[in-house]
Amino acid sequence: MVHIAPDDVMAHDVAIVGGGLTGLRAALLCAEKGRSVAVISKVHPLRSHSVAAQGGVNASLNNATQAGKDSWQSHAFDTVKGADYLADQEAVDILCGDAPRAVLEMEHMGAVFSRNEEGRIAQRPFGGAGFPRTCYAADHTGHTLLHTLYEQCMSHDIDFFEEHFVTALSIENGRCAGLCAFDLASGEMRGFEAGAVLLATGGYGRIYCHSTNAYINTGDGAYLALTAGAALKDMEFVQFHPTTLFGTNILISEAARGEGGVLLNAKGERFMQRYAAKAMELAPRDIVARAIWKEVQEGNAHEGGYVDLDLTHLGEERILERLPGIRQISIDFAGVDPVDEMVPVQPGQHYSMGGIDASNDCRTSIPGLLAAGEASCISVHGANRLGGNSLLETIVFGKVAGQTMVGMTKEHMVHDPARLKDLMRREADSIGHLTDVSRDRTVAELRRELKKLMFHHFGIFRDKGTMKLGQLRVHALRHELGKAGIDDIGKSYNQAVIEALELRSMLPVAEAVAISALAREESRGSHYRTDFPQRNDQDFLKHSMVTMKDGALALTYAPVRLGRYEVRERVY
Amino acid sequence: MRLKVRRNAGDGYGPYWEDFDIEVKKGMTVLDALFLIRHRQDDSLSFRYSCRGAVCGSCAMTINGRPRLACRTQISLLQEDDKLPPLVPISVQRGPFDPRVEVLIEPLPNMPVLKDLIVDQTEFFRKYRSLQPWLLQRYPELERENIMSKETETELDRYATCILCAACYGACPVNSENEEYLGPAALAKLYRFRIDPRDSLGGERLDQAPGPSGWLGCRFHTNCFKVCPKAIPPNLAIGKARQEMKGREGRA
Ligand SMILES: Cc1cc2nc3c(=O)[nH]c(=O)nc-3n(C[C@H](O)[C@H](O)[C@H](O)COP(=O)(O)OP(=O)(O)OC[C@H]3O[C@@H](n4cnc5c(N)ncnc54)[C@H](O)[C@@H]3O)c2cc1C
Ligand code: SF4
Ligand code: FES
Repeated sequence: MVHIAPDDVMAHDVAIVGGGLTGLRAALLCAEKGRSVAVISKVHPLRSHSVAAQGGVNASLNNATQAGKDSWQSHAFDTVKGADYLADQEAVDILCGDAPRAVLEMEHMGAVFSRNEEGRIAQRPFGGAGFPRTCYAADHTGHTLLHTLYEQCMSHDIDFFEEHFVTALSIENGRCAGLCAFDLASGEMRGFEAGAVLLATGGYGRIYCHSTNAYINTGDGAYLALTAGAALKDMEFVQFHPTTLFGTNILISEAARGEGGVLLNAKGERFMQRYAAKAMELAPRDIVARAIWKEVQEGNAHEGGYVDLDLTHLGEERILERLPGIRQISIDFAGVDPVDEMVPVQPGQHYSMGGIDASNDCRTSIPGLLAAGEASCISVHGANRLGGNSLLETIVFGKVAGQTMVGMTKEHMVHDPARLKDLMRREADSIGHLTDVSRDRTVAELRRELKKLMFHHFGIFRDKGTMKLGQLRVHALRHELGKAGIDDIGKSYNQAVIEALELRSMLPVAEAVAISALAREESRGSHYRTDFPQRNDQDFLKHSMVTMKDGALALTYAPVRLGRYEVRERVY
Repeated sequence: MRLKVRRNAGDGYGPYWEDFDIEVKKGMTVLDALFLIRHRQDDSLSFRYSCRGAVCGSCAMTINGRPRLACRTQISLLQEDDKLPPLVPISVQRGPFDPRVEVLIEPLPNMPVLKDLIVDQTEFFRKYRSLQPWLLQRYPELERENIMSKETETELDRYATCILCAACYGACPVNSENEEYLGPAALAKLYRFRIDPRDSLGGERLDQAPGPSGWLGCRFHTNCFKVCPKAIPPNLAIGKARQEMKGREGRA
């Protein structure tokens, strides 16, 4: 069913998997430096998840404060504290130190940021931040950044391979020499040789049900890295956003609370008073998410499990100016107008702190293979990411990854094209096989089961018994994958194949989350254990590392790179 | 509810109509319904998707004769279509149907169909790129941000928020007659650069879309504005551009 055309292997200096902000930022830099670049993405770049980011991007520009009051060091401190001290402080320094430059550069490229009275980039307060340092474009910040980077990329000669699903990396003599991808339109396999390969594939949020992520965020990059021999780091740290729209779990940005929105339970109580008396609704996400879930569990929430987000006191004008997207989402997807009604919200999976282990210059343990953006774990977010820091990570580390790759051209490739062809054939056969197997279970069923399992066994509150059961089931599902076939035998746009390939990624990634979470017997950041409610620096101030050998996963640990910020208790 | 889907196998088989019966739940969108069909009835049904939140621009298709985003269209609200401003007729294969019990789903017009609801957007993006839709910096040496008034920002945002879903391109009667016509989205984006004070081309931007394939092609049917999920008015941008060009000729 799946063919390989003989001339379907191409060589580029760099091959970038992913056309989100991270991938495009890296691509732009490499193209400017005269490198030949292939961007391979399973959707058109503009359809990447980055486009959905709402609230903003952090940089200590001091536009909303007195000059000099905010500083990149203070941004770095907030980030490390927010991370519950699991972040690598050197990496955080790079992130926050480069932030003002990175944001101003986006403005120079054409991004349309919201402005303050002086005509400078406007900044709003965000959870866990000491100063208002979140730059924004109303509530469509990701849209303006992604479209702007895509515009700049169009001004260069970059080879875009849209609707190409990368299925495997080619590793030769321990070095990454290229990859192969399934071309959706033609239903054929294509090979890519490159001096360097960057995984900028985004997060793994869709291994959960109730997720704010795009449907396509299935952790493919983590799977590719894992099977190629690289390590996945801190996978148990999954951020749950406190406010997602009840029903569809579309994000209601933190900006809504930044602008003054308050949370009320079914009794009309402003319950955050009981959980974070000082920071209230603007306490970090993990704390607010747990507070809401607690209200749900204690029967203080509305039936179905949601609380109210009240924006009505902001008034129509402010809502229309600052939160037009949030208003539209509430109307379109929940039938309520926040100008005069409460918005029903509940926590949902939102961000993947864990990811492919990478160094400060985005290298993985496999030469020639890099990772950056949400797909990676460098680690700048540690146990909990602050809002506005991940868009920042994409533009800062996307560029870093580009710089690292500039020195790795195709002249550095030493490999045997026949090996890549073999890999392509193997992948083609395994795709072809999908329609042969008896259809005991459907791919859709397995996906549904996995997502529910992850939400209920590895969700906001975790404990040993529940997780143990969950882990056994996830492991079992990995074996059922071999029995889940598809019906569609068509060549062009066979999306049943894509859903099956995604499931192949999701299962081992979910298992990596499971074993890391089970072994971490403490509570830190987003990882909350009811059986171990305290943080335990003695035993667990360290990164979880998962690797794969002969299909089996193994867990080890690596030290956290501390720095100038002393490890303290995290109170808000 | 019966979904009548215009299918196209992609290897020369089709187009043909296929009916799928589904149970509609509260709040169910057309995108939800398509997934339900793919997962429970026929996994060969193809359609584009990503964000399911009306921001990525993947899922534009023709629903009950109107180009729109499947993820933003609730099936139960389709009954209220008669409240929407009517479109100037476009070339969709609209058979007779009863909107109370049926939903008619077709690919976007004006683009070749690749498979089922997936159309080839190569031309749409090629035309867009031909306009150099990227900022050519007027003040690259600035150390800080360009100063911009809130008014300018609001005016830019009006067009810059386009998600390039191509709904307007599919809905435009001029696009169906004239293959060269750049289309509403590309022209609105071009106008966004024309009015961006940071762009060094300034008024020259208008010269990038001359003649009937550009600004002058528009006949102000305003289908573009009526179908745009982001309430962008390409017709307004085109009108303003034409006015400005006229003013220039007057002075010359
Ligand atoms: C709703 C929402 C709102 C957010 N708001 C904010 C915010 O306000 N501020 C903030 O800082 N952060 C925010 N975030 C987080 C932020 O948007 C993301 O972390 C960031 O955009 C990730 O960018 P990326 O480039 O790393 O990955 P993505 O944008 O996810 O891009 C991944 C790319 O990889 C490609 N890809 C994946 N798998 C494959 C494969 N197998 N083969 C080929 N290609 C593949 C995809 O096609 C895509 O192009 C938000 C997240 C969500 C869910
Ligand atoms: S102008 Fe509107 S309808 Fe046209 S492509 Fe942009 S968002 Fe879509
Ligand atoms: S799926 Fe993104 S716009 Fe509909």
